[in-house]
Amino acid sequence: MKENNRFKNSLIMLIVTIAVLFVLNRVLDDYKLRILNLCGIYITLGLSMNLINGFTGLFSLGHAGFMAIGAYTVAILTMPVHMKEMNFFMKPIVPFLANIEWSFFPALMMGGILAGLFGFLIGAPVLRLTDDYLAIATLGFAEIIRVVFTNTQSITNGALGLKGIPASTNVWWSWGVAIITVLFMVFLMEGSYGKAFNAIREDEIAAQSMGINLFTHKVMSFTFGSFLAGIGGGLLAALLGTIDPNMFRIVLTFNILLIVVLGGLGSIKGSVVSAILVTIAMEALRFLDESINLGFVELKGIAGMRMVVFSLILMGVVIFRREGLLKEN
Amino acid sequence: MKRRLGLLLLVLVLAVASLVGCGEATETDQADDAGETEESASDDVIKIGVFEPMTGANAAGGEMTVEGIELAHETRGEVLGKKVELVIVDNKSDKVESANAASRLIEKDEVVAIIGSYGSSLAMAAGDIVKRGEVPAVGCSPTNPLVTLDNDYYFRVCFIDPFQGTVMANYAFNELGAKKAAIIQDVTQDYSVGLSKYFVDAFKELTGDEDSIVEISSYNTGDQDFTSQLTNVKGKDPDVIFAPGNYGESALLIKQARDLGIEVPILGGDTWEAPELVEIGGEAVEGTVFSTHFTAEAPVTDVSEVFLEQYKEKFDKEANAFAALGYDAYMVILDAIERANSTDPKDIRDKIAETADFMGATGIITLDENGDAVKSAVIKKVVDGEFEYLTTVEPN
Repeated sequence: MKENNRFKNSLIMLIVTIAVLFVLNRVLDDYKLRILNLCGIYITLGLSMNLINGFTGLFSLGHAGFMAIGAYTVAILTMPVHMKEMNFFMKPIVPFLANIEWSFFPALMMGGILAGLFGFLIGAPVLRLTDDYLAIATLGFAEIIRVVFTNTQSITNGALGLKGIPASTNVWWSWGVAIITVLFMVFLMEGSYGKAFNAIREDEIAAQSMGINLFTHKVMSFTFGSFLAGIGGGLLAALLGTIDPNMFRIVLTFNILLIVVLGGLGSIKGSVVSAILVTIAMEALRFLDESINLGFVELKGIAGMRMVVFSLILMGVVIFRREGLLKEN
Repeated sequence: MKRRLGLLLLVLVLAVASLVGCGEATETDQADDAGETEESASDDVIKIGVFEPMTGANAAGGEMTVEGIELAHETRGEVLGKKVELVIVDNKSDKVESANAASRLIEKDEVVAIIGSYGSSLAMAAGDIVKRGEVPAVGCSPTNPLVTLDNDYYFRVCFIDPFQGTVMANYAFNELGAKKAAIIQDVTQDYSVGLSKYFVDAFKELTGDEDSIVEISSYNTGDQDFTSQLTNVKGKDPDVIFAPGNYGESALLIKQARDLGIEVPILGGDTWEAPELVEIGGEAVEGTVFSTHFTAEAPVTDVSEVFLEQYKEKFDKEANAFAALGYDAYMVILDAIERANSTDPKDIRDKIAETADFMGATGIITLDENGDAVKSAVIKKVVDGEFEYLTTVEPN
């Protein structure tokens, strides 16, 4: 009975979300649609990071690297041939990439798979480390990816970046992926793997003594997380239409970490809500940067005020509500 | 369970409402405005959007540019008998934010033209948006050729990397009589890579010798130690070193080169024009030569003189190239609005594209078919810790 009720509730939620998206897609202008798209993408990215950091308790800071892999894969695979010629005016693109032009879905999948593959390859040696050491190793990996992309002029166009990536991301793509990610996460966490991930987070030795293979589960979580990060990066590339290696600096990882921490480590709902709130608030709070006229006195705008507000909120959450904005149980 | 679900739904609805809500609010606001202050109120103001990095890694450059734009706005605050309003938004030196900012200017603030942004990659992020929104954008200092390529709505008032690289190659060959050159580039900076590439091409052509570039070494932004690159270069014994990059790294690089006993001239690009180059480099940077957009010593046009005077008066310091380019971008747009005699973004775009022989603070600006400015470059030399004007190179 209870199970049944829950299923019904979830179904209603899903239908409501889709209906709301449908309406929004028709009434919003380009600017707000862009924000809506970003919300969807950040949900995916937030959840992918939460899977690694929040649910499995692996302190990884390599997200920007996986996103870069996804973004560049999508960009190079979907760009029209003449666009590639135009972009690579300094050094021609390597021949085997020059003439391929995939449609968006396979390219996006490829981006995810490559990111996941790298996650697997990196994860296998690196996940033997714990805590701070893992954070440093993954951070290093993300930097390596960025430096490699900067130097491979004939594949990624180096520091010049790429432009003219087909703008395939729309509300259905970004939110479709987000919804699938949410469902995937719910099922994963309800199942035995999820329980095992949580057990590892709580106490590795206890988990091991219960017969959980620590290494396999850690690598699995890391690979899933990096797959989703790659997908998110691909969506972001197709939304912006242009990417360059400097975009994937450590700051990008911190933006996503902000979402995860605000929403609560290990909370699916929290990540979803905070991804939406953070993305919308970042734009909605722009008035803080502007001059404010209080009638009797005019305060001159200071650029960056909105970031200060954000930092304050984050500090407040960390001090007073370490479990995140809305954490179940 | 149910309560929590309800809560979640509530949050979702609130978030959605705030999205739709702001939209409706602004619409009704505008409707109210129109109703209260008669139709003409909103028609009397022409809005020009500015998106520049006011915070983040590129904040210094963005700020200088905005100073120039504000000065231009004070100088000429009216066109077609209407007041011009500047809408300045921060793009946080971030690509995603940059796209958001440009989109916001077009959709929410309904500007007729956009100025920005410092940093080519930030400008490129806005490229698709201005194209789709059909609002013209004029960049001040993005020198990457890709910014305006294949985009009818993006223009710029600065020259592009190919021109600057070629100018320096000509200088090295003709003035310094160099036969062999070495390159040390910052591989993470698009302009540095671009300048190097065109320097190499031009230099090879000038000398007629495929082997005239004896070494190409790379470093990354943030590096402090350049001895390995410099030792390599020293071994190849070049007549000149071309090392475009940020002023910070470049100053250190030059210092270390002199310490290693490399005495040949070192050349660079427009980014060197910052007092910090001399502050960090000290004695070592004496005699280095670089190309830039603008000089305060030999005003290129009458407008330059006016600009220099006003800038000094308002900000109490010498003007820099970025402020001058911001000034020009604004003036080019206003000139186009005047010629179009309309505030329709598409008409303005057409007139910006036709800009020819425009007297700007940084020189006489003519836009080519790509929307790039064809104009003269200035070559400067560091003498006694000051940037001394050497010569002006005309575009061919």
